[in-house]
Amino acid sequence: MAIFETIMNYLVIIFASNQFAPWIRGVLGGLVIGAVFGGALVMVYLERKFLGDMQSRIGPNRVGGRFGVLQLIADAIKLFTKEDIIPAKADKWLFVGAPIVALTSGFLMVAVIPFDYLYINGNYYAVAVSRMDISILYLEAVSGLAIFATFMAGWGSSSKYSVLAGFRNVAKMIGYEVPLGICIISVAVMAHSLDIVEIVEAQSSIWFIIAQPLGFVVFFIALLADVGRIPFDQTEAEEELIAGWATEYSGMRWGLAFFAEYLHAVVGSFIVTLIFLGGWNGLPIVGNLYIPGIFWVIAKVIIVMMLFIWIRAALPRYRIDQVIDIGWKVLIPLALLNLVWSTIIGLIWT
Amino acid sequence: MTLDLQIIPFAIISIIMIGSSIMVVKSKEVVHSAFHCVIAMMSAAGFYVLLSAQFVAVVQILVYVGAIGVMILFAVMLTTRNEEVE
Repeated sequence: MAIFETIMNYLVIIFASNQFAPWIRGVLGGLVIGAVFGGALVMVYLERKFLGDMQSRIGPNRVGGRFGVLQLIADAIKLFTKEDIIPAKADKWLFVGAPIVALTSGFLMVAVIPFDYLYINGNYYAVAVSRMDISILYLEAVSGLAIFATFMAGWGSSSKYSVLAGFRNVAKMIGYEVPLGICIISVAVMAHSLDIVEIVEAQSSIWFIIAQPLGFVVFFIALLADVGRIPFDQTEAEEELIAGWATEYSGMRWGLAFFAEYLHAVVGSFIVTLIFLGGWNGLPIVGNLYIPGIFWVIAKVIIVMMLFIWIRAALPRYRIDQVIDIGWKVLIPLALLNLVWSTIIGLIWT
Repeated sequence: MTLDLQIIPFAIISIIMIGSSIMVVKSKEVVHSAFHCVIAMMSAAGFYVLLSAQFVAVVQILVYVGAIGVMILFAVMLTTRNEEVE
């Protein structure tokens, strides 16, 4: 642990101080993005293995030993070597641009995610590519760009199924961005800040999942819809829409879009961890247990990912009209209620 | 010196903004107009970042791109596509 902390401290000083050229910090930022990219890979593997266990199957078990560790690499090689097909009637710009927009939005979100908050030589440093005063607002704004990717893919494919999926996505997102935003506002009200680092620091005494449980439930459901996972994956419903907006995609273009989706899920679990589950703070009563904060963050993120996968295995998919109903008639009123609650509690608490 | 360096991103963003604004009116397909409109709004956010007004830039993306852009797409959804346009 001591060696690890020393290495971390050096890395943080390189990140946070201005004694290095901007391009070095840019390269290091790229490394962090690579790490989150790796996190998305881990989530894909975890999902296949865990889902296999839940459904009494084995899951990947051939490539790379008994546990199929290298299965994803085999899949990626397969995707790279497949023919890249663009349908003749497709709107080429939108079709090609869609996976790029999806990945860009995911990567932009990674930029402000803090992993730890370290006290070195009398200064506090946040382990993040970029620290902003308004990082939670920035995350909310940038995650909204992913809507365009699905719409571009749907419209550009010139296929009825894909267009339907694009429409469904826009209709769904209009409803679900609102409760998501209101829950983020209630967290910000309680923490008196829009900076994720300060939101996590405000949770050092009590996690926001305990202070506003309703907000957590609403936020989690809205986030599930936002990243488009079962039970809210009407945009790529296999049975009704034949994979929806991804119907016409093949090869690495499909691979990128698929990967962007998992990247959004990973970033989503980071957001839940940071704004509701206490981030790098240890458990409420026992404290940090001398474990570095970054391990707490990663452990919580993996637990949230497991929750995503569990929900996927346990719940069936809603119809599109039910989804819109839940968004407008249930989640938005509950989110407003939670805003009132968190304002009152926040006033009493401070 | 700072002005000299800032003129480069300013020029790039200006070209993107003017080009996409022209394309909003010139595009034959209404969905292309919508997406060019979104690009023009995002370049406005780029200008705010250059003016070091980060909050306004983020709100620009949140409101104009995230909400109004999606609303425009929602309206485009309800239009009929003219197949004869070449």
